[in-house]
Amino acid sequence: MPAASDPSTSFELKSTQWPLLALALRSADTQQLAHDWQQRYGDAEGFFEQDALVLDFSAIETVDQACDLPALLKLLRNANLQPLAYRGGSNALRLQAAAAGLARADDAIDTVQNRVPSKAQPPAASPVSAPADLSHAGALLIDRPLRSGQQVYARGRDLIVTAMVNPGAEVVADGHIHVYAPLRGKAIAGARGDENARIFTSCLEAELLSIAGTYRTSEVPLPQPVQGKPAMVRLQRNGQGERLLIEPIA
Amino acid sequence: MSKIVVVTSGKGGVGKTTTSASFAAGLALKGLKTVVIDFDVGLRNLDLIMGCERRVVYDFINVIHQEANLNQALIKDKQCDNLYVLAASQTRDKDALSQEGVARVLNDLAGMGFDYIVCDSPAGIETGALMAMHYADEALVVTNPEVSSVRDSDRILGMLSSKTQRAIDGREPIKEHLLITRYNPNRVQEGQMLSLQDIQDILRIPLIGVIPESETVLQASNQGLPAVHMQGSAVSEAYKDVIERFLGHERPLRFVDAQKPSLLKRLFGR
Repeated sequence: MPAASDPSTSFELKSTQWPLLALALRSADTQQLAHDWQQRYGDAEGFFEQDALVLDFSAIETVDQACDLPALLKLLRNANLQPLAYRGGSNALRLQAAAAGLARADDAIDTVQNRVPSKAQPPAASPVSAPADLSHAGALLIDRPLRSGQQVYARGRDLIVTAMVNPGAEVVADGHIHVYAPLRGKAIAGARGDENARIFTSCLEAELLSIAGTYRTSEVPLPQPVQGKPAMVRLQRNGQGERLLIEPIA
Repeated sequence: MSKIVVVTSGKGGVGKTTTSASFAAGLALKGLKTVVIDFDVGLRNLDLIMGCERRVVYDFINVIHQEANLNQALIKDKQCDNLYVLAASQTRDKDALSQEGVARVLNDLAGMGFDYIVCDSPAGIETGALMAMHYADEALVVTNPEVSSVRDSDRILGMLSSKTQRAIDGREPIKEHLLITRYNPNRVQEGQMLSLQDIQDILRIPLIGVIPESETVLQASNQGLPAVHMQGSAVSEAYKDVIERFLGHERPLRFVDAQKPSLLKRLFGR
């Protein structure tokens, strides 16, 4: 008879923390929601990348109208979101959510105040609906040095680092990246395609610079006027395509 | 209160065990009751460097698994009265270390009145290294003057400030000290090695000492004697300076300036 394998070697159960998006519903009217969703996100395909989501029903607990949960879930899944859990809601809604396989997350705590901006495009591209929440998405501020192997992602906002970013570290932002110290690691701005994103640093020694997917490694040495100096990196479009423009700043 | 000091580096072969042995022996020579623990389970070396390999009966893993008690496993050093060694197991691997077990052993050692508990970390960033640093109060980050070693030390510094108990509890961070080993000022001058300035520019933590590159280290380890005991050698003097600085005394940096070759050497080459 084969010996039973020791269960402690094949797996490990650990508690973990994971940043999730939360969708706070302010109306139980799914049709209205679908309409507003279309207005805001349109067909911005690829804006969400199977991001995990908590549905927050707490604001519609007292609303009489029934919520069409299957329609809501379909809408969100079509938008490339992954609803995993729910919070709050009337008893009927909670039963529905549980039946749909969602986990109860009444203990979830809001930690981040920022909101996901409306579209991956820069605000200038959509002058009609200047979304107020975009301008209030504050930058993510990091005051400690980022050392080899450490990574910071400013989702949907800018990133400001006031200490050094060492070789082997990565700073990633959907918006601009500012590093007020030597930038020696990788810097990836406009991670979701914002071509207007820029990288600023007081000392440019980066291993890799990338804006909206256009990148440059340090295999080709940086030009003398910017190597080890304050510099700004932006994406320049011309007839031949895109290239990174690196300029000294005073 | 015992202080827990981890000797770590990320990269292998930079001199962690040599440093652990000399650092612990140096503290003991100052009259401080010290124990040095080998966390390199499966590749135990510390007992060889300390010259006590023939006296290992029970090891750290036996104590963690409560198959032996600390009094049975602690090996008293022959050179210093205040120094004890807790050897690693050669027959097990790093998974035999459990966080609770390590915490219990460290607590028990503190209860036995040790002033310093020196944890000799294995190379790498896996379980063994994480366990060795987890409960540390201070860290000696051993770095060689070359790019890959500096990069790995940088990685370890990131983990010291994020993965350890002090970081998790949000207490005062681990006190980090940079120890540069195998430093050869002549080769730095010739551009074959990174300079002190290059290394500090990347790592930016206080320098506690520089140990010169020397054959003394090899001689010492072959004899099973911590290098700090090699009287009159530059390595021994450099380690003694490290201990003094660690205990809060100022000592000027030595062995960091290039030596001009003598006239004969210049005439006849090496």
